[in-house]
Amino acid sequence: MESRVLKPILALYVAAFILFLYGPFFVLTILSFQQGPDGGPQFPIIEWSTYWYQQIFGLTPPSRIAPLPVGEALIRSLVLAFMTMVTSTVLGVMSAQAFRRKFRGSTVVFYLIVLGMMVPGVLTGLGTSLLANNVIGITRHWYTTAFATHVAYTYPFAFLVMLAILNRFDGSVEEAAWSLGVNPWTTFRKVTFPLIFPGVLSAMLFAFTLSLDEFPRSLFAAGGTEDQTLPLAIYGTFSVEIHPNIFAFGVLTTLFSFALLSVYGVLMGLSVRRARKLAMQEDIA
Amino acid sequence: MTDATVAPKRRGSSWLILPGIIWMALFMVVPILMICYVSFWTQTTFNISSTPTLASWKQFFSSDTYTGALWTTVRIWLIVLATTFAIGYPTALFVGLFVKSKTLSTVLLVICVIPFWTSFLIRVLAWRPMLGKEGAINIILMKLHIISQPIEVLLFTELSVIIGMSQIYCVFMVGPIAFMLGRIDRNIIEAARDLGAGFGRIFWKIIFPLSLPGVVVGAIFVSVMVLGEFATSGALSGRKVNLLGNIIVTQVGSLKWAMASVTGVILTVVMGMVIAVFLRIVDLKQEL
Repeated sequence: MESRVLKPILALYVAAFILFLYGPFFVLTILSFQQGPDGGPQFPIIEWSTYWYQQIFGLTPPSRIAPLPVGEALIRSLVLAFMTMVTSTVLGVMSAQAFRRKFRGSTVVFYLIVLGMMVPGVLTGLGTSLLANNVIGITRHWYTTAFATHVAYTYPFAFLVMLAILNRFDGSVEEAAWSLGVNPWTTFRKVTFPLIFPGVLSAMLFAFTLSLDEFPRSLFAAGGTEDQTLPLAIYGTFSVEIHPNIFAFGVLTTLFSFALLSVYGVLMGLSVRRARKLAMQEDIA
Repeated sequence: MTDATVAPKRRGSSWLILPGIIWMALFMVVPILMICYVSFWTQTTFNISSTPTLASWKQFFSSDTYTGALWTTVRIWLIVLATTFAIGYPTALFVGLFVKSKTLSTVLLVICVIPFWTSFLIRVLAWRPMLGKEGAINIILMKLHIISQPIEVLLFTELSVIIGMSQIYCVFMVGPIAFMLGRIDRNIIEAARDLGAGFGRIFWKIIFPLSLPGVVVGAIFVSVMVLGEFATSGALSGRKVNLLGNIIVTQVGSLKWAMASVTGVILTVVMGMVIAVFLRIVDLKQEL
């Protein structure tokens, strides 16, 4: 009875909620088609154009508005995200593997790792730059100090994903391999890893996307302009006047994430299908 | 040795945890200790030396700018926590409990997550053309003849910071709460209904208590992120709202490392207290 009244109301509410979530992005997308180079980042649209998109790809004649300094920053961010992804996934798999057996101080270690995703980036960033700058006296770079803080942030996510996967993992297949005399490393490579691969993919995806968009840690722990990652380059445009080019760039990066997630979806689908196939073969045998 | 004793030993070797511990110790624990240490250093205009002093601490607590930032941080955190909860809970209720089909609830959750594929800073910036004097909200309200003058308090005020943060962080409330609501055994609700309990009673006696761990996890997410914020407050308030994070950024910008560290320690303490209180309500490790 109540659900007949309450459910439609809640459904309407959820629709409004989704509008609230997407509203700014719709407005941003509309304004990215503002006329250029004279149109500003506000309504009304003077004339629809793709000027700002062309500007990002360097297809427009030079104007008073400088193009976004994103080219090299994007490459740096992608390399950094890749390094972070590999390191934190390896660490995550190793730690989760260790957590399959109870060991002394496991609760403390658990909270130590999970703290990495809880401590705000401002603090780890500030601390790491203090350590590098004032105590040890080394230059900060995106591929050294910023990389270290990025992993300290994404590794807990990878760890939790792997922990959830391994908690549900049936160890009897491993025992079967061991009892046949296969050594632990080969067992891991040939038996455990293929089975936990979907989890590894999720952990990698988490680490990559979190690092790609990481801003406060990079702000402190990366060095000067020659060390700018993509979020830092975007942040640099905050302080000066904003133009629709940043909106166009936002639309493009969102499309890029969509592409990335589609690749992830396809890989995931393939690995699930492969696992199912293997399971079927086992059933037959 | 029999297989039974070999197996558990092989399944997980404890040394595998070492690299992780070392990484977190070096790049999280030591940096935070560093902040505490440097907060007692002597700061001069152009330099900083490791002679211990309380000067920066005294300066923090005697200046209205700094203590003001502390209270602003706490105020904005509490407000955003309340708004994200108020906005997020009904959505989670619908997604986690009212939607019968598993597919639809997954689709709705994915819809909630999609905005996160846009860069955080661009999501913040997207609020400017929404809230501005000539922004979308004012234009729509004027077209509908609800207002005759554009509302100017929407942008570059504390309100705009709160609106922006609520939108950016409310999904972190929705996710965990919807997850906990989805785990509730429907038979309990059926049983309560058969015994004649109304929806209000079922909600307060069964649904809400069982969703509480989700609320706490969501609250931890939101708190941690809001307390460490500085980009949203800087970009949407026109630098009028200064949070502790903003103080840290400006102090580091002018190479006042000691003051930045004092602010960092205070932020750490606030954060620690908040997390401790929340973890007292729910044991995070058990809920996983």
